[in-house]
Amino acid sequence: MTADAAADDVGGVDAGETGAAADEAPEGPADETETAATAGTDHAIDGDAILRLRDLDAGYGDLQILSDVVLDVADEEYVTIVGPNGAGKSTVMKTVFGLTTHMGGRVEFQGEAIQGLAPEQIIREGIGFVPQNDNVFPGLSVRENLEMGAYILDEVPEDQIETIYDRFPILRERSDQKAGTLSGGQRQMVAMGRALMLDPDLLLLDEPSAGLAPDLVADMFDRIDRINEGGTAVLMVEQNAKEALRRCDRGYVLVNGENRYTDRGDVLLADEDVRRDFLGG
Amino acid sequence: MGTTDSSIVDSARARPGLLFVALLGGLLLVDLAAKLAGVGLGPIGGSLSVDRLGSNLWNGIVIGLVIGLAGIGLSMTYSILSFANFSHGDLVSVGAFSGWGVAFLIAGFGDIPARALLTVRDAGSASPGDIGAHILTTPGAILVGLVAAFAVTALLAVALDRTFYKPMRDRDGISLLIASIGAALIVRYLLQFGYGSDRRGVTASVEASNLAFGPLGLSVNAHELTILVAAVGLMLAMHGMLQHTKLGTAMRAMADNKDLALITGIPAERVVTATWVIGGGLAGASGYLYVLLRGTIQFDFGWLLLLLIFAAVILGGIGSVYGAIVGGLVIGVVFTTSTIWIPSDFNQAAAFAVMILMLLLRPEGLFKGVSTA
Repeated sequence: MTADAAADDVGGVDAGETGAAADEAPEGPADETETAATAGTDHAIDGDAILRLRDLDAGYGDLQILSDVVLDVADEEYVTIVGPNGAGKSTVMKTVFGLTTHMGGRVEFQGEAIQGLAPEQIIREGIGFVPQNDNVFPGLSVRENLEMGAYILDEVPEDQIETIYDRFPILRERSDQKAGTLSGGQRQMVAMGRALMLDPDLLLLDEPSAGLAPDLVADMFDRIDRINEGGTAVLMVEQNAKEALRRCDRGYVLVNGENRYTDRGDVLLADEDVRRDFLGG
Repeated sequence: MGTTDSSIVDSARARPGLLFVALLGGLLLVDLAAKLAGVGLGPIGGSLSVDRLGSNLWNGIVIGLVIGLAGIGLSMTYSILSFANFSHGDLVSVGAFSGWGVAFLIAGFGDIPARALLTVRDAGSASPGDIGAHILTTPGAILVGLVAAFAVTALLAVALDRTFYKPMRDRDGISLLIASIGAALIVRYLLQFGYGSDRRGVTASVEASNLAFGPLGLSVNAHELTILVAAVGLMLAMHGMLQHTKLGTAMRAMADNKDLALITGIPAERVVTATWVIGGGLAGASGYLYVLLRGTIQFDFGWLLLLLIFAAVILGGIGSVYGAIVGGLVIGVVFTTSTIWIPSDFNQAAAFAVMILMLLLRPEGLFKGVSTA
């Protein structure tokens, strides 16, 4: 993991802009107490990143949503994007996946520029995407949903289906059931399983807890943790920002389509400004 | 207003309609029984033989299979491309002319000038009897004709898609619908230009033989049996393709959710092309089979059939392949059995009345909500 690489960046923060440092910072390197609880604004990481957004401008048609967005995801890292409604969080993901109008800047995946590629090609590069809504094919069985996730392969990868069934055992039981008849939590598993069929290096998750009953949310975050521990980098947009920041390696705070803060999840959680403005106190 | 209130309102609104349908259906059944018993009831009394009822039903099923077969493609293009394709009826005509041209060419090759054969007896240049288009005497030619009808129509459907619909892929359904009306006119009048506008006989008549099914003495001819076998065979093949192949699953996936199909990596354009090949091909095959049933051909018969095809597809739940088949059978049977009560000039009206009743009582159609495609 690269949490330590991210922590190094905290040193480069311009503390003057963000005002008072939080006294109650629960943790943070001892030699940086002045700045540890003040969220950083250095949006790029020093080390290698598998996903690298640089000065990205994007939107829909003529409407520009993102301007100059900088974002990195390191190999096997767990990164979350938080921010108010309309900040462009989901637009970042859709832009990575080639679903928006690219207006400028670069999207690099494993060193290769991927802006302008079609989703079908981006999947081949090793990125999986779980959209927020309508993320299963309701009329297809659970197994068929998973098979569609590997459409670009010539043969259905049986071993990968088994791996996903091992990860989500309930899906094995429901294999022949239509996905439309499943509960919200099970549907979310099908959606993730579909996106994992090609064993991607990076998984994009758009609001995975949306629409789930509160008691299922923790389970869902646990599943994402395990996917990440299995070696898949995760970039997640989440309404449930506190829980997301608690779990992730690093977080980005996006406001009005622009970067605001970037730091370790726990540092963002501890930052007074971030708490007040974006996490509801 | 709580949910209880609105459900009461709903059922109160639905009840008079259902009541009406139940009453009407009951009345017709009682009258049917009376007619079969030979007791005339009311002003439209009269008697009806069991055999006539049987042959009405049988004819309805045969017509229904043809309409259902054509409806599959209409429903598929609706669910996958989100527009009502008004050129579908003319694809039916194209299948009939191209298929019968090929069947004639094979059946009459050498004896009759090829041009007269390929143009399906343009200006009555040869009689069907001379050519010998008959399932019993030239089964091979008729089978090859069916394949040709499928292939030529599939090809044309893909060509129309590339020319008109593909450049408009992102447009709304209304724009595409209007474009399809234009495409329909082009195809129809090219057919008239190439084949002439006269209505002419195509198949040699076949003897009907009587088959007895219990009390029903059915008069069935070989062409009707051919339609039954070919249509049911094509429908089963369609079902197998949709449920058990990767392409079919991708079609259902795209019908379910196009955006998700895109981010899943399903190659949308390839699925769309396959949809046109299969939907167009089946339309062509149904046109070819329809001529086998009617015995005559005319450049605009597919266009005239389109209304019934739409009625079937809407009745079954637009977007559903299985709904189109069931809807076709319902429309076909209504079409033929309604002549028991009303003059046959009005039987098309009866079919549409059933469709309208369906829309009033169950706007989503018979099969909506059961998996698309």
